[in-house]
Amino acid sequence: MAQRDREDPHRPSRRRGQGELESQVLGALREAEAPVTAAWVQERLGGDLAYTTVVTILTRLLAKDAVARERRGRSFVWRPTADVAGLAALKMRRLLDGESDREAVLASFVTALPPDDEQVLRALLETAHATGGAGATDRSDAMGGAEATARSDAVGGGDGVGGADGVPDGTED
Amino acid sequence: MGVFVFLPLVLPLSAWPVARLAELHLHPRTATRLLTAVATVMALCSTLCLALLMVVGTAQLPGNPLPDGWSHAEVRAAVPHDEIAGQAAIPALVLVLAVCARTLWRHRRVAQRARRALAALPSRSVVVLPEEKPYAYALPGGRRDRVVVTTALLRGLTSPERRALFAHERAHLTAAHHRHLLAVRLAARANPFLRPLRTTVVYTTERWADEDAARSVGNRTVVARAIGKAALLSGGSPVPAFATFTGFAGFASAGPVPRRVAALLRPAPAARSWPSVFTSVGLAAWGAAVGTLVSAMSSANSAVTMVLILHAATPL
Repeated sequence: MAQRDREDPHRPSRRRGQGELESQVLGALREAEAPVTAAWVQERLGGDLAYTTVVTILTRLLAKDAVARERRGRSFVWRPTADVAGLAALKMRRLLDGESDREAVLASFVTALPPDDEQVLRALLETAHATGGAGATDRSDAMGGAEATARSDAVGGGDGVGGADGVPDGTED
Repeated sequence: MGVFVFLPLVLPLSAWPVARLAELHLHPRTATRLLTAVATVMALCSTLCLALLMVVGTAQLPGNPLPDGWSHAEVRAAVPHDEIAGQAAIPALVLVLAVCARTLWRHRRVAQRARRALAALPSRSVVVLPEEKPYAYALPGGRRDRVVVTTALLRGLTSPERRALFAHERAHLTAAHHRHLLAVRLAARANPFLRPLRTTVVYTTERWADEDAARSVGNRTVVARAIGKAALLSGGSPVPAFATFTGFAGFASAGPVPRRVAALLRPAPAARSWPSVFTSVGLAAWGAAVGTLVSAMSSANSAVTMVLILHAATPL
């Protein structure tokens, strides 16, 4: 009861608010240089959140593997294991893993590939590479197209993917 | 009314030939629109007729909540085999309504959860998630349409292929494919005979987006390669999440991904709006159109007849 009384009564949507609070708490943790206590986080966020609310949010983040904690003395200290985008990725992953009914909302790029299809697909890509690839030569073609990228170890590491070309920089609103 | 009230329940069968032929012989946009429209109208007619049969069925039940006059023998006489049909219609209609309500509810829940997951991120139209599992989704949300893609998938694609990927997802959002998909999903719930139409529409929306992407990047092979690589990357991951997608036993032997790639390696399909009646697919399309018309007329006829009978039977 006491916790609810101290929460902001003007918040429009309670559930939406919790998602934003998680990001705020995670952001505060990431600003800390070392593992910090829940009281530090509470102070950092300006003090209009109850201590118990902060602990609740930290516990929820812990369940999502977005933070880690260790015991120091009588209390816990917390450190982040994910950033805000990482937290979004974790939530999205949970949604995709948990919902079997998602196709109507989320039109995915490709569907599952049974083993037989994999053979057919590789053969098709070979053909595409041999005949039709003339108009679209690029770097990875030189190293064998799909074969190279199908192995996960063929990943090219450190060239920050977010800013790479081919990604439209959609800034609509 | 007579036998007409039963027709809309089985007329979806008339759309099976076109559901089967559309994939190879129609432009994916035409196929999607035709099959969605046919499925929606037929599902509505079939549900209406179930409701009419339900009225007849409840006439036999003592203490039913409908007006007393509706239990009149004349109402029951309007339908052949009213005992069996009426009694079967009650649980069938309850089931249809419950399953459709559940589908809608889950649809909204998935959309809400997905939007909430991304709420804290900057409001861009493209979201790149740091994630070792390769996937990409189009997430419709009115003005806040978003394309979600993971770093793992982007790393596996060259930049022309990335453009193809984004063009594909944008095409889903621009053409509002999620509405078509939801409509056929509900239709298939309302009448199981409409399931093949849903299977085809799930595929043709992907093909439609593929063709749009091929047009906007100006190269069919790049789109084919992007799809192929993305599928191989996803297939190689040990995470079983994508396994739930496999309820897609189609007509052809290969699955949807190889068929999409093969279609892109062929020349672009002709964008004719309506096939000639002298081809097999044209005949099938006309068959489905006639079936839809008969379905609509039968259910309208039955509804009007039922209203007249009930009006006459209700003491004023």
